Amino acid sequence: MVSIGFFIYFAFAIVVLSLLVVTRKNPVHSVLWMLLLFFHIAGLYLFLNAEFMAAIQVIVYAGGILVLFLFVVLLMNLREELSIGKYTTFGPTGFTFALGLFVAVSMSLSSFIAAPPGKYSIDLIKQETHIKALGKLLYTEFIYPFEVASLILLVAMIGAIVLAKRRLKS
Amino acid sequence: MPGTYLPTEYLPVLIFILVAEAFGFGALLIGVVFRPKKPYPEKLMPYESGINPKGEPRTRFAIRFYIIAMLFVVFDVEAIFIYPWAIVFDKIGIFAFIEMVIFILILLIGYIYAWKKEAFVWD
Amino acid sequence: MAVPLSWYMLLSLAVFSIGVFGFLSRRNIIIMLMSIELMLNGVNINLIALSHYIQDLRGQILAFFVIAVAAAEAAIGLAIVIAMFRNRATAHVDEIKEMQG
Repeated sequence: MVSIGFFIYFAFAIVVLSLLVVTRKNPVHSVLWMLLLFFHIAGLYLFLNAEFMAAIQVIVYAGGILVLFLFVVLLMNLREELSIGKYTTFGPTGFTFALGLFVAVSMSLSSFIAAPPGKYSIDLIKQETHIKALGKLLYTEFIYPFEVASLILLVAMIGAIVLAKRRLKS
Repeated sequence: MPGTYLPTEYLPVLIFILVAEAFGFGALLIGVVFRPKKPYPEKLMPYESGINPKGEPRTRFAIRFYIIAMLFVVFDVEAIFIYPWAIVFDKIGIFAFIEMVIFILILLIGYIYAWKKEAFVWD
Repeated sequence: MAVPLSWYMLLSLAVFSIGVFGFLSRRNIIIMLMSIELMLNGVNINLIALSHYIQDLRGQILAFFVIAVAAAEAAIGLAIVIAMFRNRATAHVDEIKEMQG
């Protein structure tokens, strides 16, 4: 009963906050609502017995990516779209696409069959802590995606430095 | 069990968050309720030590702020890969240790590139 | 009473479709990038909820990698925004029509 109450609060808050993120005229307001949204998603991960994922969500998303967004919005002086009406009304095409996607996938949800349960039950994860269970799986069985992730981060670092430092011919 | 799981060891965190929000919102709310509210246009202008503000209140964009924030994000993601490894690396054999050394070396290449492009020079 | 798995999947679908709606209808480049992050978070909610319900940890591993890739993509996307809008003052993607400069 309590878990249903918490889930209803989290679901309602997450949907309302994400609607607030995409509908604000001022991009700074959008970034701030997104910060609150990420904290709610991290709380939801805590209720799914994924405490390391909740920590990662706060550290990387709320503490890194949103800071990047805030830097670019504030330092580049991206003005709010006050007077240009063409960019503040929401196109009906986007709305119908999103609504159609939601209706189509939710109707196919009833025929979803989950896989048979594996061995990482809640008691097993609590007995050896979640971060140890994740570490043991990540560095033995998923070592190849881990090395590819390092290459992706290398490309991101070099690419961002090249793009940001490039002098325009003006 | 998967639908009724409650993280009971994080209850102090919830109480902490609620009390902190109560303090913050309470202070703001008391201010809103008890303040006199008589604005006129001179009071609403941005404060500039007495003289009238002129010109755009923004400096020219210095690229090094963005570069430092971006480097922070990339090395933060590297750090969260290192956290679980640091806890279990003595239990998963020598191969995982070598793989993590390769991971750090690949990101060291990026670090040397950032060094050579003077990303860490402040002025 | 237990929270059924389909509620988590509906929540993830709702966040994803709100991200799609934001990406398709807003024309400000920063809001479009934030809608992409919203879509990725919706997928993460789905992965971690499924990993909890079928008691397998691979969903969380995949969510971990999705977060790492999202961080890299946000860094590059914002560097592109900076490179494009260094001399222009507008952030509307409809006004960026030529490829040079």
